[in-house]
Amino acid sequence: MAYSKEFITDLYRKLLGTRLSEEKLVAIYKEGRVPGHIHSGVGQEATHVGSLVTSKEGDYFKLAHRVVSISSVLGVPFNNIYAEILGRQDGNSRGGGGVNHIADFSKGILGMSGTLGCDMPFAVGAAYRLKLEGKDNIVYCYYGDGTSNRGPVHEAMNWAAAWKLPILFIMDNNQWAISTCIYESTAIENPGADRAAAYGMTSKIVDGTDVLAVYEATKELSEYVRAGNGPAILEAKNYRWRGHFEGDQCKYRDPAITEKWQKKRNCVKRMENYMLENDFISEDEIKTMYEEIDAELNAAVDFAEASPKATAEDLFNNIFA
Amino acid sequence: MQVTYGQAVADALREEMERDEMVVVFGEDVAQHGGIFGITRGLYEIFGEDRVKNTPISETSIIGVGAGAALTGLRPCIELMYSDFLLVAFSEIYHCVAKWRFMHGDQYKIPMVIRAAAGSAFGAGAEHSNCVESLFMHTPGLIIISPSTAADAKGLLKSAIRSDNPVLFFEHKQLYQVKEEIPEGDYTIPIGVADIKREGTDITIIAMGLMVKKALAAAEKLAAEGISAEVLDPRTIAPLDKEAIRKSVEKTHRAIVVEEGNKTGGIGAEIAAMMQEEMYDELDGPVLRVAALDVPLPYDVALELVCVPNEDKIVEAVKALF
Repeated sequence: MAYSKEFITDLYRKLLGTRLSEEKLVAIYKEGRVPGHIHSGVGQEATHVGSLVTSKEGDYFKLAHRVVSISSVLGVPFNNIYAEILGRQDGNSRGGGGVNHIADFSKGILGMSGTLGCDMPFAVGAAYRLKLEGKDNIVYCYYGDGTSNRGPVHEAMNWAAAWKLPILFIMDNNQWAISTCIYESTAIENPGADRAAAYGMTSKIVDGTDVLAVYEATKELSEYVRAGNGPAILEAKNYRWRGHFEGDQCKYRDPAITEKWQKKRNCVKRMENYMLENDFISEDEIKTMYEEIDAELNAAVDFAEASPKATAEDLFNNIFA
Repeated sequence: MQVTYGQAVADALREEMERDEMVVVFGEDVAQHGGIFGITRGLYEIFGEDRVKNTPISETSIIGVGAGAALTGLRPCIELMYSDFLLVAFSEIYHCVAKWRFMHGDQYKIPMVIRAAAGSAFGAGAEHSNCVESLFMHTPGLIIISPSTAADAKGLLKSAIRSDNPVLFFEHKQLYQVKEEIPEGDYTIPIGVADIKREGTDITIIAMGLMVKKALAAAEKLAAEGISAEVLDPRTIAPLDKEAIRKSVEKTHRAIVVEEGNKTGGIGAEIAAMMQEEMYDELDGPVLRVAALDVPLPYDVALELVCVPNEDKIVEAVKALF
């Protein structure tokens, strides 16, 4: 596939922005500047970036609890993302939701449940709405391998297929649910794709650390869903680089395997190598991009920390419409 | 105009669907079959398969799909058959629907009504007879309505459908066939406003749903014995019309709460606690509760009737305060 320089550099910038933000969250958490928890998505960015760049105006998104920085790719400013994570007035819920609920409805983000999987039916409901509208918009619904064993996920997939709704389920299979490996809890090799046939859906498996492969696979499936063929499942193979939450020492798994993924399947490095080999970008340009994004993120942290905290009086104003 | 409670609900649904094409109805067996209680009969034929849909037996998703549709512009009025099944979807309602706006900000709203049939129905057994309203009263973010008359059912369902907030709407199974006078045409009843179903001066009987009928029958008996009972129907359990309760006890200075659910941790517990905290000076005695026995409702009808409140139990409780 021949890509334009503009497309490749834009894709890379989104990938790098997501990576550096995920790293920034880890860093500021270590410094004690985050009130809640951080579920780092470092290493899994390509799955989310590569798929989301196929979206268009009018689509809806049910994002996942890992790689929360991804909402920046949908146009949510880092300032507001960090304000929400730090529990400030400039966050979307003014400190009511926090890291798992970064959202902006004007960007099509539906929101997310901290009880993972309970939000999958919400995405199906949005797809029903889109189907009634009759345009070619779709819902991008992200979920993890661990979540895939929950009842609402099964219900949502069966329902979406039965009503032939325009929704693309994207499994970020990082192989770990806190300390339980997916292959300990699940008997099948591909917990996303292998189940598709049972619902009457089509599916694909992709290397979730290859952003261009994710893009191509998503492009194919999203076009299939947009054309009114009903839902589909894309399973992206990944590995959770860090603990379930920051502070988790991962004593339950072999660090050698983690290191192998970090060295050989680093989605950002892979993209950089590809771009350098194909003359899309120079080392200097990459360096400049790192510096620009880092400055943007530092400014976002400063902005968030300067944003006032919500007051106790605000609590009662945010419940009912 | 005289219609049954069930017909009043059906009329509200049909009229709201005619008024606003964003109103959709889905749930188990609601389309061609018209719902197992017959309330949605005819809607499929009028509004078609896009707006009136059968769903899989997936209660969690009936709630969640409704919420997602509501977030994105529809106004779903979904049917969950027996209100007992709301507990299958407890997390979906309690964590997601009720808190979504709080957790995501004021760009988000869920204009959805969840209709369900509540209460004992002569031998439906321990999993098809419950009144679970109090469980949902515990979380902020939900409006809970439990109408006792056909007129209230129609007016309140219309308000619920027009509300931008999630509403749990409990219809009592034993009331569906009760025929009553209702106003002509399009009318609404505001959410959060109680109604005095019978005026009295000696005691306030606070009752909801089917229990309003029992309370009225008890009030009749009490009148014969010289006790003037006021029957106050909150109609909406959340938000609760505390002002109406205050106004009534300022007159009567005594109160009991009648509910069909289990006594422990029930609506009566909440109302009684609220009254002793906020209206203590007005009370000449304790706020007593008449509720179901704290046992699972039995299948045997004679035993079922032992468990749920009736007019004699209410009369007995009232007399204990004099």
